[in-house]
Amino acid sequence: MLLFFTSILPAACAGVAWGILGGALPGISPSITMALLLPLTYTLDPTVAIVMLASTYVGAEYGGSIPAILIRTPGTNAAAATVTDGYAMKLQGRAGEALGISLYSGFVGGLFGLAVLVLLAERLSTLALAFTPQAYFALGVLGLSVIASLSRESLVKGLMAGVLGLMISTIGTDPVTGLTRFTFGSPELLSGIAPILVMVGLFAIGELLTQTGEPGVQAVPEPARIKFPGPAMWRRIALPQLIGSVIGTFEGVMPGGGGAVSSFLAYNEARRWSRRKEEFGHGSPEGIAAPEAANNTVACAALIPLLSLGIPSSNSAAVLLGGFLMHGLLPGPMLFVQSTDIVTGLYTGLLAANIAMVLLGYLIMGPCIWLVGRPKPYLMAFIYALVVSGVYAIETSEFQVGLALGFGVLGYAMRYFSVPLLPMVLGVVLGFMVESNYRRALVLSSGDHMTFVQDRISAVLLGLAFVFMAGSLVRHGLGAWRPRSGPGV
Amino acid sequence: MTRDLVLGGACLALAAGYYLMAAAIPESALSDAVGAQGLPKTYAVVLGALSLVLMFKSWKTRLTVLDHRVPILRVAGMLVIGIVYLAVVPWTGYILALAGLIAATTYYQGGGLNARVAAVALSGALFFWVLFVAVLGIPHPPGIWPSLF
Repeated sequence: MLLFFTSILPAACAGVAWGILGGALPGISPSITMALLLPLTYTLDPTVAIVMLASTYVGAEYGGSIPAILIRTPGTNAAAATVTDGYAMKLQGRAGEALGISLYSGFVGGLFGLAVLVLLAERLSTLALAFTPQAYFALGVLGLSVIASLSRESLVKGLMAGVLGLMISTIGTDPVTGLTRFTFGSPELLSGIAPILVMVGLFAIGELLTQTGEPGVQAVPEPARIKFPGPAMWRRIALPQLIGSVIGTFEGVMPGGGGAVSSFLAYNEARRWSRRKEEFGHGSPEGIAAPEAANNTVACAALIPLLSLGIPSSNSAAVLLGGFLMHGLLPGPMLFVQSTDIVTGLYTGLLAANIAMVLLGYLIMGPCIWLVGRPKPYLMAFIYALVVSGVYAIETSEFQVGLALGFGVLGYAMRYFSVPLLPMVLGVVLGFMVESNYRRALVLSSGDHMTFVQDRISAVLLGLAFVFMAGSLVRHGLGAWRPRSGPGV
Repeated sequence: MTRDLVLGGACLALAAGYYLMAAAIPESALSDAVGAQGLPKTYAVVLGALSLVLMFKSWKTRLTVLDHRVPILRVAGMLVIGIVYLAVVPWTGYILALAGLIAATTYYQGGGLNARVAAVALSGALFFWVLFVAVLGIPHPPGIWPSLF
């Protein structure tokens, strides 16, 4: 008990605070935030160090939603699905409410993920071992199947945006042969284009350009305080939170799944099961609750394969693995036998981190809401400064800032032509995963495409993707006979 | 001419260009059955087909007319501020260049140009320097100043 109050609790609070800061800065991913902290934990007690790193992950996953809601800039890849409804609520003068729903849903998702981690770690870890390249490919296709339902105004334009995203993902080094593709001789493009760069360009810079082109648009006065959801809202967002938590659990366990895929899938499923589908894209609380619950569940669920098998399922989990190794600890089945104090401390620390996230999140919301209520010229100038600084931080490269400006122009053009942005983001996020695993699977099966059906996990995921796409296409077909409800996402 | 027709035409041209570039990717001895060209070519064909569908629908319905002017010069001004920032930051260093970007954007968005704006710009740049360089340890360009002292 003494150790909890003197070491673990402060470490959890410090980790969450650091994570929220890193997550809220566009360009600083959760894994970078953790990596920056890693050297500082070297001299700490192993339990305290691991708790601090894991708490940073929890805080960063939540922190990404703050700029997504307030300035239409996802701080992390996983927060991209929160942008649409979060920013729409902000424009309606409901920023405090949106931030409250995000925080509360993140807390619920985090606790769900922690409960799953404690109760089912060893059973679910076998899923991670069963994942073949075929299954990864099918997982990517399942993610891409969301495109059809994200393209509400025009299915054709949504699909075009998705294909453009896939095309962007082919820039760089070919995953199988090592040949360079579409780099125009530029060494900066050899490693491809980071998804966060595309998101910051499309959303943040594109929005700055749009606001510049429409000087008459004035910000809605903001209420000065965060507003936590009341009992009626709890009931309304309970189902989306459950959907997000369940999807986040499975995505967190699967290597390569990650927060971004789970957020988009959760958003899509929450809309499918909602009784107020028409509100999605126009400021739906459920559209915030589902992805935020999902990506915070992932922060805990990603520890399942790491702790039980020593397999990091994401970049952030890999940094945490580095933390374990740095302290002479080897994650795997023996960790639960030889280092029970570490495991128990981590579980306790994660619980403290989720509670600290609510408290710290509540404290920083007021200043954040105040900041976005500043006069428009100052606000736009500071968003511009934050974006160029954050993008530069990705690879400390001015070339990347130039690329982000280019994607900003693309985002502006897409808004002008009413092309939805999210399908392109999804294409960029999933393109590499789909292509690399598709080709690896074919190499392993000597070019036999039946391998995707013979692999059981792949067959199930592809079947789900087919059902999702067919359902969306039917809805689009029916929708063509009804009046349009509004612009796309 | 409708907006969708313009979009479809632009994407069709992009798909054609992208296909040609994909076809120019050399073959590798390590190549698999699909090859480095495989999926890019497929994406180009799909984009081209979708562009044709959009153009056909646009021609058939003529719903959305290219009706109002795009404030292209005003939008370009914001981009120029970013490009100038990129050009000067290796010389002036992060703090001065960022202060310039904040001041220029504030002025461009109608915030005036006075001592208050200058003070806000400089303190804003210092805040970002503390956040990114001092706290997070991410190096931003120092400019020519270290070589002078």
